[in-house]
Amino acid sequence: MGTVEFRNVSFKYPLSEKEALKEVSLKIDASEFVVVCGKSGCGKTTLLRQLKKNLMPYGRLEGEVLYDGENPSDTDDRKNAAEIGFVRQDPDNQIVTDKVWHELAFGLESLGLDNSTIKRRVAETASFFDIQTWFRKNTDELSGGQKQMVNLASVMVMQPKLLILDEPTAQLDPIAASEFLRTIHRINREIGTTVILSEHRLEEAFVMADRVVVMEEGKILCDDVPTKVGTYLSGDPRNDMFLGLPSVMKIFNEIEPSGESPLTMREGRIWLESFLKDRVIPERMKKELPPEIRRQEQAKDRRESRKDEQGAGKDKNDEQGAGKDKNDEQGTGKDTDKSKKHGLYTIEAKDLWFRYSKKEQDVLRGTNLRVPKGQWLSILGGNGTGKSTLLKALCGVIKPSRGNVKTGGRISMLPQDPRTLFTEITAEEELQEALSDKKESDKEKAEKTEKMICLMELQEIRKMHPYDLSGGEQQRLALGKVLLTEPSIILLDEPTKGLDAFFKRTLAEIFMKLTEEGMTIVMVSHDMEFCAEYSYCCAMFFDGEVVSADVPEDFFSGNNFYTTVSNRIAGKWFPKAVTYQEVAGCVKAMM
Amino acid sequence: MFKEGLGETSKFSEYHPTVNLIYFVFVIGITMFATSPAFLAVTFFCAWFYSVLLRGYKAIKMNIVFMLPIFAVMVFVNTFFNHNGETILFYLNRAPITKEALVFGMAAAIVLTSVIIWFMCFNVIMSADKFIYLFGRTAPILGLLLSMTFRFIKLLKVRFREISDGQKCLGKEGSRKILSRIRQLLKEVSILISWSLEASIETADSMEARGYGLKGRTFFHIYKFTGRDLQMMILILISGGISAAGCIMKEMTMYYYPVLDFPEESWLTAVMLTFYGILLLLPAISDIYGELKWERLNSEM
Repeated sequence: MGTVEFRNVSFKYPLSEKEALKEVSLKIDASEFVVVCGKSGCGKTTLLRQLKKNLMPYGRLEGEVLYDGENPSDTDDRKNAAEIGFVRQDPDNQIVTDKVWHELAFGLESLGLDNSTIKRRVAETASFFDIQTWFRKNTDELSGGQKQMVNLASVMVMQPKLLILDEPTAQLDPIAASEFLRTIHRINREIGTTVILSEHRLEEAFVMADRVVVMEEGKILCDDVPTKVGTYLSGDPRNDMFLGLPSVMKIFNEIEPSGESPLTMREGRIWLESFLKDRVIPERMKKELPPEIRRQEQAKDRRESRKDEQGAGKDKNDEQGAGKDKNDEQGTGKDTDKSKKHGLYTIEAKDLWFRYSKKEQDVLRGTNLRVPKGQWLSILGGNGTGKSTLLKALCGVIKPSRGNVKTGGRISMLPQDPRTLFTEITAEEELQEALSDKKESDKEKAEKTEKMICLMELQEIRKMHPYDLSGGEQQRLALGKVLLTEPSIILLDEPTKGLDAFFKRTLAEIFMKLTEEGMTIVMVSHDMEFCAEYSYCCAMFFDGEVVSADVPEDFFSGNNFYTTVSNRIAGKWFPKAVTYQEVAGCVKAMM
Repeated sequence: MFKEGLGETSKFSEYHPTVNLIYFVFVIGITMFATSPAFLAVTFFCAWFYSVLLRGYKAIKMNIVFMLPIFAVMVFVNTFFNHNGETILFYLNRAPITKEALVFGMAAAIVLTSVIIWFMCFNVIMSADKFIYLFGRTAPILGLLLSMTFRFIKLLKVRFREISDGQKCLGKEGSRKILSRIRQLLKEVSILISWSLEASIETADSMEARGYGLKGRTFFHIYKFTGRDLQMMILILISGGISAAGCIMKEMTMYYYPVLDFPEESWLTAVMLTFYGILLLLPAISDIYGELKWERLNSEM
């Protein structure tokens, strides 16, 4: 029970020229765990939705979709509702009622079970998902991770045979996301529910999956056990999806383009151990990376040259207190000791204190931050430490109770949810709206809009409604809108949330382009891999303060727990290598 | 413990919703018709007492804020615009101002404020959940609808806040001119509406995916009707029933026109008054008893 089969399925949305699915054939056995991955818009969602009666997209379907040997649209409503569970991306929108317990009971109420049966099922489900401590809470008091857990539990309470998850962790922070994925794994292993999961966060999903299906433009590119998928994607020419692979696989495939790759970090370490057994690692490699693989070499050069022009940089006499040195400098001072003048930072926040209400604790406790022009600073840190609050204080949405913020230029912030900015009916008008209160001629405005469309690569979607865009496209549109207000500093709150690995790179390229033009970027993120790979400087936010700041290779190599996967695998041999390219480069240099 | 008020920790609110509902139906129903001075005094005093017990010092302020204008308006209007009654105090523009009208104005004001204060207590005791349960019992859809409404209102608030922060991030909302502020507000509301509509499509999908619309929907609740509830229910029914009977028998009624007709003191009235008093004090007694017991258990530990 719980088997799925697609036989030569093709699907076309009305009014669309392209086929969303092209001759997809796929067979999933009972109790299998299948991960479906691919770039945004590759047809993952369209594929998954074919199985759930009320979510089937409207359009022309060819071929056969079978659930338990029968077409889902012919199954009994009751059976389809109970046996196929579907969890989607947005945690908030899927919750119907105001209480956690009521939400859990919702599906069973629909099936018409009596009170005592519902009570028993709800009780066992709540215990399995560890919900009992917040069972009586209001659904709006929960964190995003808890909300998504409620959504999962309220589907599982109906005891489905097949569980379909469409990017369920896209809106969650990494800690909540890995907890969520672990729970799904547990469901599959302990209860035997068939799981189909579409996911961008492959680092963890790969380890759990029995099979991985990679999709590209509506077609199935490969369908194999996880260890072999990496080999396939790293073939020549390298597939875009390669970027999304777990770090272990990326490192492995950079070095050994064939063979079965290790999956977990532990396996990766064992493999490296045996690989490097007979080789002596030169001392120099422990202190710095070999020059030929130093990442962002160019970007860094550009940054430094600009700094020299503008005379920004470290001022040794300008410290507000001993030990604050690094905090203040944000790592840019490392490579220059020229004495510089005052006031060359675009952001200077001094001694910020803030709390949300009288009874709560301070979120910001004497935070100091200085960011020079053209910097791209990533602020990392645990959940609920106040990173977002810091951004709000910097752009003036909240007023700190003590301390002040000086900014050298217009400051804009891209909120976490891009939908809070959308007012118009097409992407193009959306951008024009940002210019509505500027005193410029229409021609100038049109030119600016056009430039922005090119910069953000929105040409193909300019006439589409903002709500019809995918997460990544919405993010780009919102960023374009924010940029049109012509800020010189831009603050970003979790800009990589829910984006696929390929688009993350595009986004990073946009950011680099902007910093070259003199824009300053301050970004708050949980995405260590992204920060390590692209940003110029990383800082840790803890207990209301910025506690350490450095260039990524030094920032992460100094950390034991809080570091990238690549660094955790290879840190023992190459402490300065924090991205997969660096680790692979180091290993190659040894060969 | 009494400074902040008991609020939702009140023992009386831990009873079954049906018990709570029946209690307030009795109390508010009888309070509206009991016009004789002794009964007025009892309900007024008990309402005050219980509201302070539930909501602490805040309640005193709130009660006075509500009471004063009601008193002022009702006494003024009734005295100067109602010319019934035989005991004329004086003439104003040839219109007779009577003692009866003045006294009736005061009595009516006391009835009204008592009812309002009882409703405030009702609000604390009858949480949204209990409402949903009571409605859900009669019609499952109604219960679900209420539950969804409560969620939606909170969601709207959160979203509006996010939108307005988002707009501030864009550097909008800076202008002081009223016209542009109104325009900005309208824009934020329009974002809120389109966002919420879009979201509710997904919510509807999620409902249907979990079988909403199938025949024979039931309503789940987490309330149990226990022996304790039965005891309280019987107490309420006895004291409330006797008081209600007295109310119907006009034992609690006083005629204010044409002359003030104070009711005679009889043993029947005394019995009624006692039971009415018991009814009104039941929740307060159960709360205070529960609170003391808790203190005792706590100190023993």
